[in-house]
Amino acid sequence: MNRFPAAVDSYLDQTLRARARPLLLSFDADWNLVEVRGDTAANGLAGEDARGLVQQLQDLFLGLPLDQSQDLPFVELSDGRHAHVHLIPDGENFHLLLLDARDEHRQTQVQQQMGNEAVLAGIEKSRTLARLRQIKSELEQQRARLEEANALKNALFATLSHEFRTPLTSIFGYLHLLERGLEPNAGQAQALRALRRNASHLFALAENLLEYGRSESGESLLDPAQLDLAQLVADLDAMFQPLAAEKGLALLIEAGAAPPEQAWFDPVKLRQVAINLLSNALRYTPRGYVKARLEWRDQALRLDVADSGLGIDQASRARIFRPFNRGAQHGGRGAGLGLSIVKRLVERMDGRLELDSTPGQGSTFRVSLPPLRAGGLPALPEEAKRRGLSALIVDDDPDVAGLLEVLLDDLGVSTRQAGTAAAALAAVAEAEPDLVLVDVELPGLSGNAAVYQLRSQGFKGGIVTLSANATEEARRAALAAGADYYLTKPLDFAQFARVIQQAGRRD
Amino acid sequence: MTEIARKVCMLGDFGVGKTSLVARYVRNTFSDKYLTTVGVKVDSRQLQLADGAGLKLVIWDIAGKSVIDGANQSYLRGASGLILVADGTREASLRAALGLLMQARELLPDPACVLLVNKLDLIERWEVAPATLAEIRRSLPVFETSALSGDGVEAAFAALGEALRP
Ligand SMILES: Nc1nc2c(ncn2[C@@H]2O[C@H](COP(=O)(O)OP(=O)(O)OP(=O)(O)O)[C@@H](O)[C@H]2O)c(=O)[nH]1
Ligand SMILES: [Mg+2]
Repeated sequence: MNRFPAAVDSYLDQTLRARARPLLLSFDADWNLVEVRGDTAANGLAGEDARGLVQQLQDLFLGLPLDQSQDLPFVELSDGRHAHVHLIPDGENFHLLLLDARDEHRQTQVQQQMGNEAVLAGIEKSRTLARLRQIKSELEQQRARLEEANALKNALFATLSHEFRTPLTSIFGYLHLLERGLEPNAGQAQALRALRRNASHLFALAENLLEYGRSESGESLLDPAQLDLAQLVADLDAMFQPLAAEKGLALLIEAGAAPPEQAWFDPVKLRQVAINLLSNALRYTPRGYVKARLEWRDQALRLDVADSGLGIDQASRARIFRPFNRGAQHGGRGAGLGLSIVKRLVERMDGRLELDSTPGQGSTFRVSLPPLRAGGLPALPEEAKRRGLSALIVDDDPDVAGLLEVLLDDLGVSTRQAGTAAAALAAVAEAEPDLVLVDVELPGLSGNAAVYQLRSQGFKGGIVTLSANATEEARRAALAAGADYYLTKPLDFAQFARVIQQAGRRD
Repeated sequence: MTEIARKVCMLGDFGVGKTSLVARYVRNTFSDKYLTTVGVKVDSRQLQLADGAGLKLVIWDIAGKSVIDGANQSYLRGASGLILVADGTREASLRAALGLLMQARELLPDPACVLLVNKLDLIERWEVAPATLAEIRRSLPVFETSALSGDGVEAAFAALGEALRP
């Protein structure tokens, strides 16, 4: 290799040194500093104190061989400066050569920063777009729901006026007859019967419409009380026997075993279910019989209503439980609300509704209702009660925690409390509960973070998240973190009890 | 030189919070401004192990990458522990961390490892599902952390310290 002329060599040496401001620290094999040479001032080593720097360099080469040349680019020193650090072995000893890298670091840093931020902005952008798409589709769904609700409302009013007009016309017609005094004895009796029939029909309709309106506004709570089965059966019999007699149908309403004293039900809603099922059966049965039976069997209240009527074919099964559906049952011209109300009421009471039917031979509706407890809370299943569910309440507000404790105690659930996400994790680690109830708004880390960590650590029990935030987004975040249920405050107690019951059942 | 010291490297994609975690652990500070790391910064902290022994962690904070390239290879030399860092709000950064672990295992003989899934304070925006971490936990200690709030940070470094016990 040709050598540069001496003048050029010395020029190069000067400019490169001026730029790199080399600092050389020479050590013996035991890291004892032997000598410091070079630009000590520019390297912040004015005076003697190189100890801090030596400690840093010693840390830097921890685990690395000192007898091999090495090159560690862009090392940040404790005063924030950057240098390229070179290790140069020299017999038993070694040198560390520090070359200034401030300018180079600044340039590289700016470039890398721009690159990284561009990528992060790209991620954020596609995320925002996805969110916008999500919001758009939610808005569309909401609009569809609103349209449906609106159509439903219109249909409701149409039905209201139409259905009310018919019985009212009839009532007034017979009244008119009475007033004219035609056929005083037999006629009067018939007119009175017709009056009663239509009046009760009107009454049932009004009750249904009311119930419908109530469930739309979501405010129909359960009202449990002890049930007088015999009285209910007698009432139903008095109400429907005249109708059946008029149509020439055999009507049999009977009571089986009565529920135990502590098994409570909502008598008003149960009555409404029975009335709707019976009037439906009588309406669609041209000849033969209608039989109803109410009894306590297998820890539930059963109501079976069987008829020898038109029957319901497979295709119509789903339709008949929808509101304002007409004529799903053969030849029918129904009120359109009865069965949908039955379905809603049964669901509200946590019961089951089943239908057996053969077209041309008849139908049987079977309702099964679990008992409710006093105060509107469904009872826990017996086995859960025996086992004694345990719950951890995670809420920093002692009033809320206290309220939850009382509610859970009422359901036979024993409780412990924690005020923060960290305390919750510790409490679960100590003893795993069946259930965890978490408030989202905790001091420090959110309740969602606690839920997430519980799940990622393999907690398999039920988790119910509570929050004052009723948005769909908040709900989604809670479920994504691993909650099974998301309840918003103020709490709906009946719903709370149902959720606790379900959450406690998982294992 | 009687004190026992171990070199550990922060490994993870860029922007996941490596520098912030070190700042929280070593200086108990946090900044929400992002200043990407170029090269390496070495910090250290003395750790008291469960059995009372002392251990000095020498922590290498290096530039974030989703793969180990030539420069990072030289930074990894001599490390006995790895702190893998992912950002819970970026699922891809978790895959990157696991990829980095596989690569690092080719270079280092049996390093002690912990995985930190960071930014727990942003849990509402996390893309990583809890079940995913439950699965990873079978083969690797996993900590959900927040450099912002400090949650999980001490525990994570302490666990690595225990794994590095002489
Ligand atoms: N909310 C929140 N932000 C965090 C957390 N940790 C880090 N950040 C922020 O995330 C950004 C990146 O953090 P850094 O610590 O610089 O990330 P890094 O992994 O060192 O990035 P590179 O050096 O580029 O590899 C900064 O804006 C931090 O403030 C956290 O736990 N919570
Ligand atoms: Mg960094």
